[in-house]
Amino acid sequence: MSGDLYDIRIFEPKDVMFSRGTGGVFQGVLDGKPYPELVVYRAFPFLYTTQYLSIRDAKGEELGIVRDLRELDEESAKELEQELQFRYFLPRVTRVDSVKQKSDLWIWELQTTLGPTRIAMRNLHEFMQFPGGNRIILTDINGKRCEIADWQALDSRSRQQLTDVV
Amino acid sequence: MSIQPTLPEPIRARLSGEPLFSVKTDLSSDGRFGDLWFAVTDQEVTLWDADGEPSFRLDVTELSEARAVGGIGGGTLLADTAGGPVVIARYTAALSSAFGFAAKLITALAKQEELPAVSEKEFPRYCPSCGNPLAEGTQSCPICKSKGKVLFRMLRYAKPYKAQMAAAVVLLMLTTVIELVPPYLTKIMIDDVLQPKNTGSALLWVVLGLGLTSLVMSVMQTVRGLIGVWVGSKLMGDLRNDIYTALMRLSLAFFDRRQTSQFVGRINSDSESMRQFMTDGVIWVSGESLRVVAIFVIMFGLDWRLTLFALIPMPFMVLVSLTMWPKIGRRWYQQWRSIFRLNVLVGDSLQGIRVVKAFGQEQTEMSRYSTANRELVRNNIRIEGLWQGMFPLFSFVAGIGTLLIWYNGGSSVIRGDLQLGVLMALIAYLGMLFGPLQWVSQMINWASHALASADRVFEIMDTPSDVPDARDPHPIGTIRGDVVFERVSYGYEKHHPVLKDVNLKVKAGEMIGLVGHSGAGKSTFINLICRFYDTDEGRIAIDGTDLRSISQTDLRKQIGVVLQETFLFDGTIAENIAYSKPDATPEEIMRAAKIANAHDFIVRLPDGYDTRVGERGHRLSGGEKQRVSIARAIIHDPRILILDEATASVDTETERQIQEAISRLVKGRTTFAIAHRLSTLRNADRLVVLDKGKIVEVGTHEELLAIEGGAYRKLVDAQKELSKIKGVEG
Repeated sequence: MSGDLYDIRIFEPKDVMFSRGTGGVFQGVLDGKPYPELVVYRAFPFLYTTQYLSIRDAKGEELGIVRDLRELDEESAKELEQELQFRYFLPRVTRVDSVKQKSDLWIWELQTTLGPTRIAMRNLHEFMQFPGGNRIILTDINGKRCEIADWQALDSRSRQQLTDVV
Repeated sequence: MSIQPTLPEPIRARLSGEPLFSVKTDLSSDGRFGDLWFAVTDQEVTLWDADGEPSFRLDVTELSEARAVGGIGGGTLLADTAGGPVVIARYTAALSSAFGFAAKLITALAKQEELPAVSEKEFPRYCPSCGNPLAEGTQSCPICKSKGKVLFRMLRYAKPYKAQMAAAVVLLMLTTVIELVPPYLTKIMIDDVLQPKNTGSALLWVVLGLGLTSLVMSVMQTVRGLIGVWVGSKLMGDLRNDIYTALMRLSLAFFDRRQTSQFVGRINSDSESMRQFMTDGVIWVSGESLRVVAIFVIMFGLDWRLTLFALIPMPFMVLVSLTMWPKIGRRWYQQWRSIFRLNVLVGDSLQGIRVVKAFGQEQTEMSRYSTANRELVRNNIRIEGLWQGMFPLFSFVAGIGTLLIWYNGGSSVIRGDLQLGVLMALIAYLGMLFGPLQWVSQMINWASHALASADRVFEIMDTPSDVPDARDPHPIGTIRGDVVFERVSYGYEKHHPVLKDVNLKVKAGEMIGLVGHSGAGKSTFINLICRFYDTDEGRIAIDGTDLRSISQTDLRKQIGVVLQETFLFDGTIAENIAYSKPDATPEEIMRAAKIANAHDFIVRLPDGYDTRVGERGHRLSGGEKQRVSIARAIIHDPRILILDEATASVDTETERQIQEAISRLVKGRTTFAIAHRLSTLRNADRLVVLDKGKIVEVGTHEELLAIEGGAYRKLVDAQKELSKIKGVEG
């Protein structure tokens, strides 16, 4: 048993390069070895969204950790960020158009960074999470999620929609 | 009825053949929200944009396999081609099932295997009329359902008591009418007795009349109050029963996802607020509305012009009530949520009180509590404050009506157009309107509180069980104990299978040891036998009968479990042993305990079999509790026995005693045992080695050990290594 196996491998920025394959799949060269398909996991999806990113092969084996996306070269950082956006589908809410309770569903009409959407919740106490600060995670009945990064920072109309639900 | 939107005709016409599968995805390829149609024919995989233009096409012959790669909140459908993996489509989590199926279908097409059949279950379901998501297992859309439904459903609970409630309403009406008499008598007194200085017996009669009305009123109020209390308590009892029954009916999966202490509050406080509305609320509404009508009739009769002044503030009050209504409801819910969070917090830290104390984290817990507590205080003030502000406002506005009457009526009296008594009576009646007024705001409060509670209660009642009982269960009687797993797959979250394609035939009376790393699927395996969960694919049969067609009561009669975490209920040891057989005789209980190696230590206890074991049996040691729970399984006399890490947390001597007990217990029963220490399983007839949800090896201890580089051998070696280390440390 080598000690390495039980240590976290942190990539040096120069050892990694990410790009997108012709088929639109995230790929890269790590320590000089090419991988046609890579998967990225956030180790701290709520706290550090662009740091401590676990890079894994298609089978899910960890190859190493990227400490900070910003340390990478421009192209790699761009692709990695894009891949994070695909894998962690968590649109950020830019405006809350309305929050209505219709019978026993709560319907949210939202504008997000990825376009307008609508979220339906069975109730608020199980489908709204408050991970800390002024952050709110909204979960749809079907599992779709949206994030309000800081509800205090939204425009006044949105805040007004939220007053009685937060 | 299909609730799935169908592929638009223009796209269909441009496909190479009949679509085998189509679904509307909700993300465009750049990961933004967007509607695209995805369709599969036997020759191609295609994606079409909202205008019906093709945006992606891949020939089936080009690809070797398709995979649905799940992300967080969404996923990607990938195809492996000769030129590397290709992204076909992206989707949000709502469509995971549909694309999981699509991946299987495309793979089967590419490999020219038998095509899987599509089922409605794969699609997220939306209400055909309003487009909102439908809950699993229901056809009725909660939004299109009329709003009054919750109210009516709640009122149904009052139905058995309608006679009593009607009596209460009638009494209330009578009191109302009688209550209206005194002001009228006062009017007579002023106009016909006091002002004309009538010295006859009239004064006495009027006073007697006043006395009589107040006596009758008190009697009726008492009777009405008693009826209210009686009906209310009964109603609440019914409600609590129903909620508890609904909870017990729900599957384990429901509780896995929730913190259980929250339900304590739900059962008690939610039923209380519903009760309050139904008894006090309903009776008040009928009584007070009548009172309002009666007061106005009398007032109009006395002087209709002056009465109109009293009506001036009414529209304003109605308007305010209507706008406040939803706000109050929301704030109640908000307040409820902060109580809920507080309860969860308390439940959590008390359950883990040992850990809290051990790490000296009382301060942290206290500060967590005070944060949540502050939030509750804030919400309390918000709702109560709103509520406290509303009534004075209403009173003030209504008071304006009184002022108008005073002014106009007063000048009429001075002019001699109006008798003083009439004015006084009008003012008195107007004062009586304040009662109903208070009721308006109180009623808003109660009703919104009750409706919010009812919503939550019915939510529990309406949650379909994940393991529904068969409509026409197959009677199994006493079974032999053959257990068969046929291509079983299961995941706690769909598309994350924990068990994959498991096939196993177990003969009656055989003892199977389940081994594997943690997370290999051992516990899931036995959870499926108990039918705590239903298989996603494949089936499990006992004596050839599918588990799903056996009633759960029948099934549980045949299965006994000894779990790692022994849970003893609040009660005596004897009661705990006889848990599954309440009519067990003392001898049976002792016999069972004897087999379980528990008899001796129990008898030695000062209270013997009558020793109370508190919540979680705190006064017994781990090994003792374990043996009591084995006795509990023995008295149950199951044909199938499940032992989940029964000896995990005890010392060697206790383990030997438990082992002995177990070996007596398993005799003649089909047994599935999970053990951390592989040595515990040496009695097993066969060992089943699980790895990442699949069966990798089956055989006896010796057979498996003989496989060079086999999974079992590795496990055994690893454990030997470990005990060596332990030996050195010791």
